[in-house]
Amino acid sequence: MNPDLPTPGGTSRRDFIRAGGLAAAGLVLGAPAILRATTAPSDAIKVGFIGLGKQHEVLFNAMKNIPGIEYSAVCDIMKNRVGSAFSRIKNTFGNEPARYIDAQEMLEKEPDLDAVIVSTPDFWHSRHTVWSLQAGKAVYCEKMMSDTIGGARAMVAAMDQTGKLCQIGHQRRSNPRYIFTLNELLRKQNICGQIVNANAQWNRAVGSSQDIQVKPSILPDKETLLKYGYGRPGQDLSLEQLQHRFLNWRFYKDLSGGPISDLGAHQIDIFNWFFGMPPSRVMASGGRNYFKDREHFDNVMCIFDYDTPDGGARAFYQVLTTTSAGGGYFESFMGIHGTINISERAAYTRIYREAGTAPEWDSLVQRGYLKKASAPAPVTDSSDVIASYESAAPEAYELPGGLSKPPHQPHLENFFAAMRGTEKLTCDARHALESEAPIYWVNPAAESGQTIIFTPGHLHT
Amino acid sequence: MNTASTSSSPSTDLGPALGLLAIRIWLGVRAILTGVEKFAGTRSSDAAVIIDGEANSYGLTDAAATKFYALSNYQGIPAALQKSFEAEPLLPGWALHIYGLVLGPALLALGVTVLLGIAPRVSLFLMALVYTSLTVGLILIKQDGGVAWLAAHLTLVALALLFSDRDKFLLWGKKW
Repeated sequence: MNPDLPTPGGTSRRDFIRAGGLAAAGLVLGAPAILRATTAPSDAIKVGFIGLGKQHEVLFNAMKNIPGIEYSAVCDIMKNRVGSAFSRIKNTFGNEPARYIDAQEMLEKEPDLDAVIVSTPDFWHSRHTVWSLQAGKAVYCEKMMSDTIGGARAMVAAMDQTGKLCQIGHQRRSNPRYIFTLNELLRKQNICGQIVNANAQWNRAVGSSQDIQVKPSILPDKETLLKYGYGRPGQDLSLEQLQHRFLNWRFYKDLSGGPISDLGAHQIDIFNWFFGMPPSRVMASGGRNYFKDREHFDNVMCIFDYDTPDGGARAFYQVLTTTSAGGGYFESFMGIHGTINISERAAYTRIYREAGTAPEWDSLVQRGYLKKASAPAPVTDSSDVIASYESAAPEAYELPGGLSKPPHQPHLENFFAAMRGTEKLTCDARHALESEAPIYWVNPAAESGQTIIFTPGHLHT
Repeated sequence: MNTASTSSSPSTDLGPALGLLAIRIWLGVRAILTGVEKFAGTRSSDAAVIIDGEANSYGLTDAAATKFYALSNYQGIPAALQKSFEAEPLLPGWALHIYGLVLGPALLALGVTVLLGIAPRVSLFLMALVYTSLTVGLILIKQDGGVAWLAAHLTLVALALLFSDRDKFLLWGKKW
């Protein structure tokens, strides 16, 4: 059945999904919890998955508690993953999704699909997204949008041409903790005052940065890997090399953007989102200092300049794959009155008030905007303290609440709500590329050692 | 002093029997709780945080997480180890799947039979096999600490088997 064709009742199934969404939203709010996971089959959004690796598992685990989804098809070039995803869906929901190796075949043979979830390697994102949009599907595609800025621009163009929804997986954009922090603490309450600096990092230990290994017997064969782009013309690659590229595509320049896009994309996106503008320039440095045989830098540091209305700010970002020290992964916005260290993990999140100079936050605590943290009292009289070097220790606070769901769930909920017409996408392809575009220039800046001053040519979508 | 009248005979001395009972209680409780934990999960509070006297509109909830048990939570092989096992050529996927399904119920059943003293020799021997099978997996993924920990379990099982003829607190199947 073509989902855009009118039903006997005179409306298309997709119209029915959108219209039903409004009614369903009202019903769900007032329904007992036991009823919330049930949805009439005609209301269900039919979903197909392209790419069934680790990130697929993350997304599936975040989706499985969202009502109104029918898991109709799964696709991956690795048969073992297809079998695992099939079993996962059958064991969880009881239905048997159709199984595919080839994404185009899935799109041709599954015209009833309403949405496609793309979690393939970066160098496939653009093609899988564009094909799905052109086939009339709404798309949720993992970040980074593509391994090339041209690929990402093609995704925006396809979204515009088809008029279909295309959400990019910058899941922090739908996270209540981040939205609350931006809207209430930074904008309405202005607790940080003028923000002069930002700082973010993703530090990962050597032990967590090792090559992924899987027994070769369950990996795709050479013909399949060559067909699906893991080797390029002119590259004379053995089966072992191809399989390494298949599992560890993040290490190769023609398959990904490396750590700065794998990990940095999430957090540099927060710089651009919270500052409400793209940076004006970037300088960067990187090296292959430990993983010397990898094509991408194993450690990258970069500084973005932002021409903010307050007088400018700079944002430092580092991605390290050789140490986990320094507090894991977070984004920090440092103002003259306070600093917000926010992270997808609540444990890494802290808010600091500059003692002595900032307005009191007691009323914010009383009204529920902040919680006072039980921080240890700073030592002020030890022998290593030199009074003239010291600032008064900042007071520590916490966000008033957390997220009682997997971190990706709100972003997926927003995608499905947008399909039903009850919400707007929080990160459509155009907004995602506005935020991602500067990231594509970090590696070139580090390779050349030159500061890149951004022009519309660098950043246009 | 008549030593014969003060030393206990094997049939009346409770020391070895209580020692064996203590080992069986330890092994039984250990296996039962390990099996039960395979059905454990956590859920976070859905209660909305109150800001300015009203439930906030952002979806911020009380951050406290609570542990709960359910059949649907069952995971025989811990997720953290599953991927490592799957990468091992000597551990075929189908065998891992079956092993994961059987492991939790096996630990629960053997924990109960060892604790209550039901067919004690057979139960202890099967428990030794379970711990040996776990050891094999941990050897392959180079978890030496876990291997040593399981060896301590196996020592206790062997001790209980060696002195099983002195076990008095048995519910059923003394010969077994």
